[in-house]
Amino acid sequence: MSRYLLRRLSHSLAVLWVVATLTFVLMRVTPGGPFDREQRLPPQVLANIAAKYHLDEPLISQYLRYMTGLIQGDLGPSYKYLDRTVRDIIISTLPVSALLGILALAFAVIVSFPAGLLAAYYHNSWTDRWCLFLATLGISLPNFILGGLLIWIFSLQLGWFQAGRWGTLSSIVLPTITLGSSAAAYLTYLLRSTLIETLGADFIRTARAKGLKEIVVIFKHAMRNSISPLLTVLGPLLAALVTGSFVVEYVFAIPGMGRFFITAVTDRDYPMIMGVTLVYSTLLVSANLIVDLLYSVIDPRVKRH
Amino acid sequence: MVGLTEFDRNLRPAPMVAKSWEIHDNGRKIIFRLRDDVLWSDGKSVRAQDFEYSWKRLLNPSTASEYAYILYDILNAEPYNQGKITDSDLVGVRALDDWTLEVRLKHTAPYFLAITTFEVTYPQRRDIVEKNGARWTDPSTIVTNGPFLLESWSHEDEIRLKANPGFFLGKPAIDRIEMVIVNENTTALAMYEQGQLDFIDNRSIPIFEKHRLIRQPGFRIVPQLRGYYYGFVTDRKPFDDVRVRKAFAMAIDRRIFPKILHGGEQPINSWIPPGMIGHNPEIGLPFNPSEARRLLTEAGYPNGKGFPEITLGYNTDETHKMVAEAIQSMWKQNLDVLVRLDNQEWKVYLNKLNNDPPHLFRLGWGADYPDPDNFMKLFTSTSGNNNTRWKNERYDELVERAARELDEQERVRLYNEAQRILCETDLPIISLFVTAETTVLNPRFTGLEFNSMARLMLRQVRLTEPTGANPS
Repeated sequence: MSRYLLRRLSHSLAVLWVVATLTFVLMRVTPGGPFDREQRLPPQVLANIAAKYHLDEPLISQYLRYMTGLIQGDLGPSYKYLDRTVRDIIISTLPVSALLGILALAFAVIVSFPAGLLAAYYHNSWTDRWCLFLATLGISLPNFILGGLLIWIFSLQLGWFQAGRWGTLSSIVLPTITLGSSAAAYLTYLLRSTLIETLGADFIRTARAKGLKEIVVIFKHAMRNSISPLLTVLGPLLAALVTGSFVVEYVFAIPGMGRFFITAVTDRDYPMIMGVTLVYSTLLVSANLIVDLLYSVIDPRVKRH
Repeated sequence: MVGLTEFDRNLRPAPMVAKSWEIHDNGRKIIFRLRDDVLWSDGKSVRAQDFEYSWKRLLNPSTASEYAYILYDILNAEPYNQGKITDSDLVGVRALDDWTLEVRLKHTAPYFLAITTFEVTYPQRRDIVEKNGARWTDPSTIVTNGPFLLESWSHEDEIRLKANPGFFLGKPAIDRIEMVIVNENTTALAMYEQGQLDFIDNRSIPIFEKHRLIRQPGFRIVPQLRGYYYGFVTDRKPFDDVRVRKAFAMAIDRRIFPKILHGGEQPINSWIPPGMIGHNPEIGLPFNPSEARRLLTEAGYPNGKGFPEITLGYNTDETHKMVAEAIQSMWKQNLDVLVRLDNQEWKVYLNKLNNDPPHLFRLGWGADYPDPDNFMKLFTSTSGNNNTRWKNERYDELVERAARELDEQERVRLYNEAQRILCETDLPIISLFVTAETTVLNPRFTGLEFNSMARLMLRQVRLTEPTGANPS
């Protein structure tokens, strides 16, 4: 087990190194730089700025400098937010995104499990069709439309919830639903289709023939066998939700990390681009690792090698 | 925060921390006399040394300030910022005593007083900056001297200000101000309409909502000193021919912009915006489609025949797109010329302007200080921001002379001549309109507005008197 873990960990580190290197190269070949302005800065001012951030050094030494810093946990200064480090910014924004992401995932799970189950159990009935309809809606409605719609209905028309910002109970509901809806829809689809397959399997017929109660058949036998595909997507889904969504954070004015996936790039804030990319890929790699480890707990058929 | 001076309603520098100033040596030496009752939030006096320190810190190459150039008119400021001289004592700013600041300029600069209204010239405390390093702007360490104090600052989220009881002009009428960062304009508007916010500006008002909000009592339009123009790349066909440039300019009916943008845009044929000395509405080529067609024919393209395919570039944005499409259709209609539109993300666009510009490009220009020098210098042949590749020695000379001229009438005369070259005879650009700030303020309050430099003045905010109030 520990050898397996060690091997997986070293793989993960290699993946992260590749991601870091590719990101570093890609952002530097993208046209436009962090200090390009409508009102162009005088060359001597640009030279001072370049010297401050070591942008006047050859690219390879900038890369080595960044990597050395990274190993020591130093993500560098932000070029956009003066006097703030990328680490500071991530520390203050990631928890907000993480809380929203976890709430959204919880919402998705709470909604999708009963929905997927009902749809599969009453396959081809009206219940099934309704669930499918709602799931299709959830997947195809873009977040900015759904968010705007929810604000219009629940904030402006009904006045139930705050339109924007974060921190109060009233502010949490709408962004959670917006962020969680497509995940909920996706999970419903997935659960429904695997459950339909499982419910038609021989061992379910056997279980029923043994005279087991229907509830035991569903939850002990069918669910348990349908959950591993769900687990596979839950890992990456968690990583994506926890690091924040640009759209949801923009629409609801939430001070999370998600916005930086876009703004860091439009600002060409190089260290910030590296920072958020690395946080996201670290979470993604770890989530996948944990999911792989969990397989063996849930499904004894999965053997570690 | 407050600095040496502050704009009055006519955008003239008025006394603030400086109670008066004297100009010597043909404008090359300014002595500022400071008030002795201005206090930092920790109770210490704001002294001339705090200005000297702040200005030298701005110019210090290791600060690497983007705005260092704003003080380049000061003697030795530029070589010090370039690292050519390292002794900061040689820079022409010096506290003669606690209440007297001497500034020596390298040349006459009639606009220099206006520069002292600019935030980066505000005083700083050496002890605070040196003790706290990069954290000196943190609410727990920063000291300030303005009508409001920084209570808390949650980055990317909100800034809370509280009234400064020790402000030398008296405590402001409002106790607390919360400034919230909301990036999405429809959300900000929803928050305003829900009562979560009392004031929103341009960035929070979607274009398609402006015509509705314009009828609200707290709606205001404040014209800005900000020009919006299209530039020609003048060393390439077909715009190397001034007749073609003129034809394109005269085929645009600028009255359409406020109608499609709803933001109080003011059409303009000349370049120096209204509200600035030197503005002259007489200058420029007005809309004249028949003359435009005649010029295009004269240039060898009768009814647009044989005209090469050209591209108009702009950065991706809803407003720019609407403007570009309106103009595209006017060129089609009035000149029978088809112009291809090409939009790009902002930084890619800026990069392209430098390396491979389209035939025609969109840009804007906002003033750092309300003086025509700031606007006219943009198109001199040495300007790093002149993307038109147009050069005119007479224009350069006029702009340079006007910048060194103390007599206002003579300056206006020089700028008139320069503007005629820019907007009538040579026409490297088409000046289109001057932008405006639109704001909505809850009618419970008065006095909160932008000036035409897009600066928000918080000091005069107060609750509306109960009579005629309309609480919502």
